[in-house]
Amino acid sequence: MADTTISTPRARRSGKPNLRLWLPLLWLGFVALAAILAPLVAPHDPLTQDLMLERLPPFFIDGTEPGYLLGTDSLGRDVLSRMIHGARIALFVSLIAATATCLFGSVLGLVAGYFGGWWDRVISRLVDIWMAFPPVLFAVLLVAVMGTGLTSVIAAIALIDWTRFARVIRAETMVQSRMDYVDSSRIGGARRIATLASEILPNVLPSIIALLMLEMGIAVIVEAILSFVNLSISSDDPTWGSMIAEGRNAIHFAWWVLLFPLIALFLTVLSFSTLGEGLKQRFDPVLQ
Amino acid sequence: MTVATHKTTLDVINLNIALPNGVRILRDVSLSLEPGEVRALVGESGAGKSMIGKSVLGILPPSLRVTEGEIILEGQHLNAMSPSTRRTTVAKTAALIPQDPLTALNPVRKIGPQIVDPLIRIHGWSADKARARALDLLDRVHIRAPERVMNSYPHELSGGMRQRILIAAAFAPSPRLIVADEPTTALDVTVQKQILRLIRELQQETGTAVLFVTHDMGVVAKISQKVTVLFAGKVMEDATTKAVFTDPQHPYTRALIAATPSYADLERPFSPVPASLISDLHQQIAQDDALYKGARR
Repeated sequence: MADTTISTPRARRSGKPNLRLWLPLLWLGFVALAAILAPLVAPHDPLTQDLMLERLPPFFIDGTEPGYLLGTDSLGRDVLSRMIHGARIALFVSLIAATATCLFGSVLGLVAGYFGGWWDRVISRLVDIWMAFPPVLFAVLLVAVMGTGLTSVIAAIALIDWTRFARVIRAETMVQSRMDYVDSSRIGGARRIATLASEILPNVLPSIIALLMLEMGIAVIVEAILSFVNLSISSDDPTWGSMIAEGRNAIHFAWWVLLFPLIALFLTVLSFSTLGEGLKQRFDPVLQ
Repeated sequence: MTVATHKTTLDVINLNIALPNGVRILRDVSLSLEPGEVRALVGESGAGKSMIGKSVLGILPPSLRVTEGEIILEGQHLNAMSPSTRRTTVAKTAALIPQDPLTALNPVRKIGPQIVDPLIRIHGWSADKARARALDLLDRVHIRAPERVMNSYPHELSGGMRQRILIAAAFAPSPRLIVADEPTTALDVTVQKQILRLIRELQQETGTAVLFVTHDMGVVAKISQKVTVLFAGKVMEDATTKAVFTDPQHPYTRALIAATPSYADLERPFSPVPASLISDLHQQIAQDDALYKGARR
């Protein structure tokens, strides 16, 4: 009986660095830092208007004013400063909304998948009914009822998207529940809830993390969409969505007002979903 | 009907298990295990072999229900218990060696806690004591470097090693009864032998009764003292292993033994269980079912 089959778990990790993990972390860290330090690092007040300086182009184009790196919008506000302050709102919303969505949806998914029976029937029907609503209409309706503002945006995201978590986590939990080690845990005298926490949750966790990251990206988009249609916070406040909405009017002669927040939005959403995949791999001992 | 005494480790009396639509998976199954005895449960796939063990351990699939019958473990009536009492009783007295070592260990947890945690939970041992017990058992199943294995994840170990770990985990809480659910089916032939020997060694040392589920008559001959032959959830024959091989009473048992390939006589043609016998048995069972339904109405 040769016990030589113990492989070293860190073999693969010692190779080249995992770009899927580190590139998104780099960008998100950069955005997070900008968001936290916004008042310190933003070169201008994001709300100060100066009609003498309207639609200044970014630094690499002729006719720019020093100090306005990414140009100004049609009211003479600094695009870079507005983007930095917009990052605050984007990250705040994505963090709170995605976490709330994740907790709510995952708990329901775990309960439905593991306990089955009536729990599953009630939760699954609820998910079916919920998903029959068109999500964008639902969001607009919710915000219209609750009034505009960040709280409404966050509530709208959580109330719409919990079904994504509930469905995926329910399916994964059902697969795990049929595994022999769940039976072994029960024979070993563990309560059902303890089995759920110690045997099933760790196996489902990589998926929860991947979904959470995806949801953060989605939350950024939803916030941008609601800002775009003026249903997020007041239009004066700098959000990426409202910047894109404003820039739309001037796209032919001042494209930078629209393009830079769009790039920030794109990179952030992409980073979140890539990071989700990267983390899923990183935390799964079998995939490693 | 036998009255359970404390002498027997396990008594299953007239056990019936049914699907939600009323179709019976087990039909009036009775069997008993003396302390230190190994009883083999044989039959083809779908005969309900595993379901007996699962109903004793309380891990039947949620769609199956025990509709009738008694399960008495160490003199305690399991059916009469509340779910939580039943769970702790089973944990203290019984354990499982599962069929597939690849799915029986949680892939995201290290081996150590998977053996140690139940010991702490069942016996209230200290972490150190439970750990010492786990290391001792791993050593007994010939795992070299048990410390390192306790610190490994299941996917870092071979199938044979994992099955030995599961045997160690099953014996660790000193159960009175172990259900071995086809523990060698998922392993290759060379490893099968070692695993069988290990189970027998530990079983004899500890005096644990074993309900050994298998479809392999060769394994039956090697490990068990008693045999229960099942067909379609019904007991065909219940006898000592010696009697089953030397003087099988039921035609199905005779057919099963005849169907086992012999290594000594490779020239002998392969003889499957005759289809006529199987259809006869099914007919009998259909009649039984009709009677059973009539009686319950």
